[in-house]
Amino acid sequence: MRRALFSSAGVETAGFSAVLMLTLVLAFLLLMAPHAMAETAGNAPAIQVPNPSTDLWREVRQRDGVTSGRSQIAGVESGTLINPYGETWRNFRMKQLIPYSGYLLAGMLLLLILFFLVRGKIRVKAGISNKKLFRYTLYERMIHWFIASVFLFLALTGLILLFGRSLLLPWIGSEVFSLLASASKEGHNLFGPVFAVALLLVFIRFVRRNIYQKGDLTWLLKGGGIIGKGHVPSNFFNMGEKSMFWLLVLVGAVIVGSGLILVFPVFGQARITMELSHVSHALTTLLMILVIMGHIYIGSVGMEGALDGMTTGYCDLNWAREHHAEWATLCEQEGKVITDVEVSRLRGDGDTQQHAATSAQETG
Amino acid sequence: MIGELIDGPFWYFSLVVFCIGVLFRLISILRAGLKPDLAVPRSGGSTGALRNLFSRFIPRRDVATRGRLTFVAGYLFHIGLFALLFFARPHVDFIAERITGFSWPALPYWAFIISAEIAFIGLLLLWLHRLLHPVTRLLSNADDYIGTGLVFLVMLTGCLALAQAFEPLRLLHLFLAELLLIYFPFSSLMHAFTFVFSRSYSGAVMGRKGVNA
Repeated sequence: MRRALFSSAGVETAGFSAVLMLTLVLAFLLLMAPHAMAETAGNAPAIQVPNPSTDLWREVRQRDGVTSGRSQIAGVESGTLINPYGETWRNFRMKQLIPYSGYLLAGMLLLLILFFLVRGKIRVKAGISNKKLFRYTLYERMIHWFIASVFLFLALTGLILLFGRSLLLPWIGSEVFSLLASASKEGHNLFGPVFAVALLLVFIRFVRRNIYQKGDLTWLLKGGGIIGKGHVPSNFFNMGEKSMFWLLVLVGAVIVGSGLILVFPVFGQARITMELSHVSHALTTLLMILVIMGHIYIGSVGMEGALDGMTTGYCDLNWAREHHAEWATLCEQEGKVITDVEVSRLRGDGDTQQHAATSAQETG
Repeated sequence: MIGELIDGPFWYFSLVVFCIGVLFRLISILRAGLKPDLAVPRSGGSTGALRNLFSRFIPRRDVATRGRLTFVAGYLFHIGLFALLFFARPHVDFIAERITGFSWPALPYWAFIISAEIAFIGLLLLWLHRLLHPVTRLLSNADDYIGTGLVFLVMLTGCLALAQAFEPLRLLHLFLAELLLIYFPFSSLMHAFTFVFSRSYSGAVMGRKGVNA
C-alpha cells in the first residue's frame, strides 16, 4: 500500500523542510527585487503586456464610431454591442437640452410679462363698435380649438417628461412622479397621432388664406404695428399669422414625423435615428411652444378683440379696420357688416326663437 | 383601503345601480303605453319600425350634407368607443373575470390604439360642436356636459393607464368608470338603449300612416 510507504513522522519532516526552503527562497527574492527592478529600469525599457480585455472593451465601446460586428441574432443593430452616440445623446439631453430649454421657456414667459407691463393691452383705438364682421365658421373654430386642446395636452405631458425629473421629482417624490411620468408618456404617445389629424384638418382648411401676398412684407417691416403708432393694413390674415401658420405646418410636420418614429420603433429604425428624432422632436416642439406662447398672449391679454373671432365667430368692425384693414374694407364694400343685435340673434344670445337662421351662416 | 373599496364593493354597487337603473328606465318607457290609433292603418307598423330602426343609421342627404362633421365625428366616436369598451384586451379580461365568466377575441394592440384615437377625435369634435354651435349650446344642459365629461375622463384615464404598471392609475380609471355606471341610467347617456324605442316608435307611427319616413 502506498500510504504505508510513508510514516507519519517522515511526512511531517519532509513538509517542514519544504516550507522552510520556500520561505528562504521568497525572502531572498524579496530582498533582491528592488535591485533587480532598478537595474531593469536603468538599462532596458519595460515590456508592455497589453491587457486583452481592455482591447476587447475598447473595440466594443467604439470610441471612433459605430462599427457593426456579426451576430446570429437577426435585428437592427444586433451586431453593435455599445452605441457610443447614446452617451452623446444622453449628455446633450441632460446638460444642454433640459437646462437651455428651461431658460428659453422661462425667458419667453418673462418677456411676455415684461412686454405686457410696458405696452399693456393693445386696445382698439376707435373703441369697440356695435358692428361686427363674420370671421370664422363653426368648422374653422372647431378645428382651431381641437388642435389647441390637443397641442396643450401634448405640451403639458411633453414638458413633464422633459423637466419632470429636475423640477417635479424633488417635490412630489419618486413614487408619485413615476406614476405621473408613466401617465404622461402613455397620454403623449396616444394623442400624438391625434395631433397629426388635427394638423391636417387645419392645413386643408386654412392653407388658401395663408399664401403670402402683396402687402405682407410691409406689415413685417412695421412689426405688425407693434413698432410705431400707425396701423398696418393687412388682409384676412396678416404676415405674422401667416408665418405662424406655416411654422405650425412645417415644424408640425417635423414634430409629427419624429414623434411617429419614436412612438413606433418597429419599422427598423436604428438607435441613432431614434436619438436624432428625439433631438429634432424636442427642438421643434420647443420652438412651437415658444411661438404658441406668443399666440396665446395676443389672443388672451395682449390684444383687445383678438379672441372674439375664434370664440363667437364674429369680430368687431373697428378691430378689423385696425388690424385687417384690407379685409375689413372688402367686407364693408360687400355689405357684410352686421349689428351686435343681429349677431346676438344669430347666436341665440337674445331672442331664442330665431335659431333656424343660425346654422346656415355658422356652419359655413 | 380605498383601492379595495374601488375594486370590490363600489364596483358591485355601481354595477347594481346601472342594471337596476337601466331596467327601471326601460320598463318605465314600456309601461307608458301608446295612445290608441283609431285610424285604419295603411301599412304595417312593425315593418315601419324595423325600417326606421336601421335606416336612421344613414342620415338623409340634406342632414348628411349640412351636418357632415357631426355625422363623421359621431360615427368615429361611437365606433371607437364600442371597439374600446368590448374589444380592448384589458376590458375583455375584466368582463370575463367579473361578469361573464368567458372571454372573446380581443383587438390587437395597434387596433386598440387606433380605436382609442378615433374615439378621442370624435368625442373632442362633438364636444366642441356642442360648445360652439349656438343651437346645440342652447339645447345642452348640465347633464350633457357631465355625461360627456365623464366619458372623456374615463377614456383619458384608461389611456393614461395603458402601461398597466401602476395600480393607482388603473384604480382611477375604474373609479371614474364606476361613477359613469352610476350616472348613466339617470342621464341622456341612456340614448344608448332608448334610441331603439324612439326610432321604432316613430317608424311604427309613420308606417301605419303609410309615410315613408
